[in-house]
Amino acid sequence: MSEPSTSPNADGSPALSARGLTKRYGSTTAVDSLDLTVDPGVVFGFLGPNGAGKTTTMRIFTGLIDPTSGEARVAGVPSRDRARLVDRIGLLPEEPPLYDELTGREQLQFAADLRDVRWDAVSDRALGLCGDLDLTGDLDRRIEGYSKGMRQKTAFVQAVQHDPAVVFLDEPTSGLDPRAAKTLRELILDLAESDTTVFLSTHILPVVEEIADEVGVLHEGRLVAEGPIEELVASAGAGDSDGAAASTADDAGAGTVDGGASPADDPDLEDAFLELTSREESVWTDDT
Amino acid sequence: MRALARDARALLATEIRVRVRSVLADRRKLLGTATSLAMFGLLFPWFFRANVTSFAERVAGGNVPLGPLGAAFTGLCVLGLTVGASTGFGQERAGRVGPLVRTSVPPLAVSLARLASEVLRGLTVFALPAVAVLVFLGAGSGGPVLPLVLATGALPLVLTGLLVGRLAGDAVRYLNLAVGVSLWVKAAAAVVVSLAFFVGTQALLFAETADSGGNGANGDTGSPLASVSIPPLLPGEPLQAYAGVVSSPVGGSPRALGWAVGALLLAAVPVALVVALRVETRLLFREVSGDRAGDGVAGTSGVPRPFTVGPGPRVAWRYLLRTRRDPRILSHLMIVLFMGIGSLGNVVQDPGSITGIGPPVAVIGGAVIAGAAYCMNPLGDDVDQLPLLLTSADSTDLLLRGRALAGAAIGLPLALGAGVPLAAIGRSPVFAAWLAVLAVALVFAGTGAALGLGALVPKFERYEYMSVERPHPSNYVVFGYLIGTMLVGGLGFALVDRSASGGAGALVGVAWTVYLGVVGGVGLAGYVYARRRFDDLSLDEF
Repeated sequence: MSEPSTSPNADGSPALSARGLTKRYGSTTAVDSLDLTVDPGVVFGFLGPNGAGKTTTMRIFTGLIDPTSGEARVAGVPSRDRARLVDRIGLLPEEPPLYDELTGREQLQFAADLRDVRWDAVSDRALGLCGDLDLTGDLDRRIEGYSKGMRQKTAFVQAVQHDPAVVFLDEPTSGLDPRAAKTLRELILDLAESDTTVFLSTHILPVVEEIADEVGVLHEGRLVAEGPIEELVASAGAGDSDGAAASTADDAGAGTVDGGASPADDPDLEDAFLELTSREESVWTDDT
Repeated sequence: MRALARDARALLATEIRVRVRSVLADRRKLLGTATSLAMFGLLFPWFFRANVTSFAERVAGGNVPLGPLGAAFTGLCVLGLTVGASTGFGQERAGRVGPLVRTSVPPLAVSLARLASEVLRGLTVFALPAVAVLVFLGAGSGGPVLPLVLATGALPLVLTGLLVGRLAGDAVRYLNLAVGVSLWVKAAAAVVVSLAFFVGTQALLFAETADSGGNGANGDTGSPLASVSIPPLLPGEPLQAYAGVVSSPVGGSPRALGWAVGALLLAAVPVALVVALRVETRLLFREVSGDRAGDGVAGTSGVPRPFTVGPGPRVAWRYLLRTRRDPRILSHLMIVLFMGIGSLGNVVQDPGSITGIGPPVAVIGGAVIAGAAYCMNPLGDDVDQLPLLLTSADSTDLLLRGRALAGAAIGLPLALGAGVPLAAIGRSPVFAAWLAVLAVALVFAGTGAALGLGALVPKFERYEYMSVERPHPSNYVVFGYLIGTMLVGGLGFALVDRSASGGAGALVGVAWTVYLGVVGGVGLAGYVYARRRFDDLSLDEF
């Protein structure tokens, strides 16, 4: 695991930091002693199998739940300090939080009101994003008539229209057609260029591979790898002295649906992901 | 047929298991269920214990009072009709389980299981009182024969009522989904029908009371049940005749009409069951337009004055706007409507009474609606939007203020716009002025108190009520708030009356100070509590 970065942002704090972050539900540990640092302007891909604790981590960072122990900070603000936190974040959860009875435009205006931001102050940016996402023509229709993709686009604009320091995106391309998904990926890169940190949780590894600067792999609540994608992929390509891990990686390669090159020939993020999560499973199995 | 029964049984068992687990897993639900069972299962039978025991003693003495027995049978029939109709109308939509059951289980089995589980659920609360009444009957008559005979005789009545009611509920549900009129027209129709039902029932009750003179015609004068006002309302003759047939093993005198009614009931049960199952199976697969009234509707509404003055009023406007587009958001107010419909009925019957009962009803009603509209489940009914709300506003204060203002925007016009002018006409301008003070105090204090109550018992889980599935406020909380507002409003009304009559100036001044202090304090305390409670809200709570 890499050392936490110490790169400061404008006020000297990393965009995201977690120290010993733990969340337990009864006897189940959803997040286990997570240490993480993400610098400003970085697109951070947060990966992990189903139930690994990604959504729980995201909820802690956004103040929606409290950790059992440890601390999470966003742009230097503790996640428990919701009053200050909200100024710095935008969130696109897996289920777009929209009101069916409002039109898309009314929803965006409502979101601005919640932040006590004048619509005039954000409308240019919001409507520009809507234009990029081909949503402008539907903004005056009620959301109950929106498709899944249109809901997703509206919720994305809602999450970023106020230009937050850190944006949390949970499966942002879910339900989008290929063109819209491509546009969204470009918009995410634009966000990062304007120094917004993007915390991106998704199962679609090619998306992460395309736009993320760094990735973290969460498995059974623990961060099993963190760093630039190239390093992760390279470590997967180099193999591992751990026999269990190597064999698991081979198995995973044999199971690749597209029948592409084996991990040893041409490793990619998927191979690295499978190896990391398989290794942990093997270790866990051996331990037990 | 065997496979059908097996599938239905499996679905029914699953449904019951899920329901029981959901109650056992939630302490609040468990407490609510236990309270309901205690109220109906213990208090209700205990209240009627003397009547039932006395009735059983008279039967044991060789005198079967057919009037009360016929009335009780009619009551059971009405109970069956009510439970059947409410489950038929309010049953959960096929869509939620549709994709699974449509591809894996015969539709008839689905209908059968749903009918059984929903009827069982509807009757659960009456199981304990039924057992208690049977025990009292046994105790009063000195043996098990009377309760056994009456239970057997009551069964076809209850079943027929249930199934006929279910069919009626299905029909209303289908009309509600299929008729392409606006939701507001449907809401208005529901109010008019409810009002007509109430006024009609009242008229019938008064007419029959005047004509029949109670149970005397049946030779029951002096019976504890003679004082109960239900029998005159009910169509006694056929069911009394049926009661005579049922009670023949314990001394009743059967008549030909009673045998005919019995035969009719026995025939009605299987026929109604088959028809209900067929209708529901068809409904399961029938595509209806549904209530997506705004689907495809275009047009963004700007925030009008005076809601433009700040973020709180702007948020309030969104709640009002959403309600204008979908009145089902206020479906939980039906309980308020049912409570107030008595007064409306009186006014319909005697229009002159409007200046008398109008002012208190409008002021208290305005305060009730102001609090109950948006403040009884603050944030609970925004459960799907919580990730937005909690990560956008620096305090839930903004949302709570918005809700309170939205409620006041509905309640205050009713209280001031209807109550005060009626008071000026019916009483005096001075009375109307004092009433206006009371109205403003009650409306704003009411919203604060309602926020506090809603924060005390937030409901995040969805359930279907009045055919609307959403996180409705707790019925106990709504009911408690309603009763509390009526009591506090009644006190205030007495104070207004005293103030307008001009007596004891200093004392009235002190009384107003105390009253407004307490009412305002309760409202403020509720608001502050709600803000603290929801500022600390975590998604872990549900």
